[in-house]
Amino acid sequence: MTDLKALDRDRIRTLFDLRTGSNAWSGGDFIDDPHPIWRRLRERAPVHEGTLHRLTGYPGEALFHGLPYPESPHFTVFSLEACEGIYRDPELFASSPNAGDPRHSGVESSMLMMGGAEHRRYRGLVQPSFVPSKVRWWMTNWIEETVQLLIDGFVDDGRAELNVDLCAAIPVLTITGSFGVPVEQALDIREALRDPQQVEALIAPIVAARREAPEDDLISVLVEAEYVDDDGVTHRLTDAEIHTFAYLLLAAGSGTTWKQMGITLATLLNRPELLARIRDDRDLVRAAIEESTRWEPTDPMFSRWVTRDVDLHGVHVPKGSVVHIAIGAANRDPARWDDPDDFDVDRPLKPSLAFGSGPHVCLGMHVARAEMTTALNALLDRLPNLRLDPDAEPPQVIGLYERGAMDIPVMWG
Amino acid sequence: MAWSVTVDRDRCIGSGMCIVYAPGTFAHDAEAKAVVLDPSTDDLAAVRTAVEGCPTGALQLTEEGE
Repeated sequence: MTDLKALDRDRIRTLFDLRTGSNAWSGGDFIDDPHPIWRRLRERAPVHEGTLHRLTGYPGEALFHGLPYPESPHFTVFSLEACEGIYRDPELFASSPNAGDPRHSGVESSMLMMGGAEHRRYRGLVQPSFVPSKVRWWMTNWIEETVQLLIDGFVDDGRAELNVDLCAAIPVLTITGSFGVPVEQALDIREALRDPQQVEALIAPIVAARREAPEDDLISVLVEAEYVDDDGVTHRLTDAEIHTFAYLLLAAGSGTTWKQMGITLATLLNRPELLARIRDDRDLVRAAIEESTRWEPTDPMFSRWVTRDVDLHGVHVPKGSVVHIAIGAANRDPARWDDPDDFDVDRPLKPSLAFGSGPHVCLGMHVARAEMTTALNALLDRLPNLRLDPDAEPPQVIGLYERGAMDIPVMWG
Repeated sequence: MAWSVTVDRDRCIGSGMCIVYAPGTFAHDAEAKAVVLDPSTDDLAAVRTAVEGCPTGALQLTEEGE
């Protein structure tokens, strides 16, 4: 990767606007602060009947993990203890209504929906590429160059809109770069995500090439991966399995980190004194990113499917129900954090549910952290006196099931 | 206070969460399963956080004495 001029800013703006296209289906027009509502619900009871968006007062329909499934009863869980309990019991609270049914395509047949041994087998194939000791591999091969080239693109302008010019571009270029997809096609992939077959058409030539000659990238890892089935027979992944893997990694890798990075930058830019402290003490970068993921996780809800009748903290939840895990509410539970509504980089580091939990905990969390760390450090290194543009509206975090920042207009110098 | 940690290798999925919170206590082996470093260079609070944060409950902390 050497030339990012192939990236079309207007196209990025369209593809990465929470209010438009597929982004809007997840409640992109929700602009209120949901946290006071979630706090009241959590204080009233750990478990409530209904979807999170209905309980939050969102009037429309919204699509996300576990939605709509209109024939199933829905419950939402707000306390940290109850949410952790669901994540830790994957047999009672399954990851799909039809675990890993091969008749489904795209995400529906991916390891996101698998359970038990099958999920362990598939996840084990990619886990070694996403462990903390591999972060250096990701940074050296893709993240650092991407970040520096993106900043090169606007450093002489004195102003930028970081949501489009930086946050949206880093994750999609990192994951597509790790696949060996050229920059010119990176946005084609993002655009094609609504249609798995289109993604397959873009990935298939790379899979074929890596089968011939593996390289030091993620598709080669998938091509060379071997697993042993229940009968002790060793297999390699079929093209169909690789395409499903690739689709999930692209979908998960190109959206979430964009939004969390925007939330982090918006939050810090709205607190200039804190940003100045972080500029002078880079040990705080990590704390700021951990606090951002706790305080405002970009995906504040994931779902599980109930496999038998259960009494959940005093609420009868019948088999077949969908349970929404309100990560955004649990991450502000005073049972674990003092003054949980405060954004406080000095608080003791404690585990949150920002990246989920249980056997499906976010595969890409260390890569996501590395992308955000690299970006924040590079901005502070290269843009002196980075601050919000006083002539523009300050950035605002919006969205219901996919929260993220709107425009982040900044200037420096 | 003396303490020790054991890893349930069947439960461990190699998430790396323990290494985030207690990098002086945990590492991964070649199969991306958690292993405990000896001696640990973390304080006990960090180890507790790592054990608490394990997404699959694969870590067991035993604290002995006062």
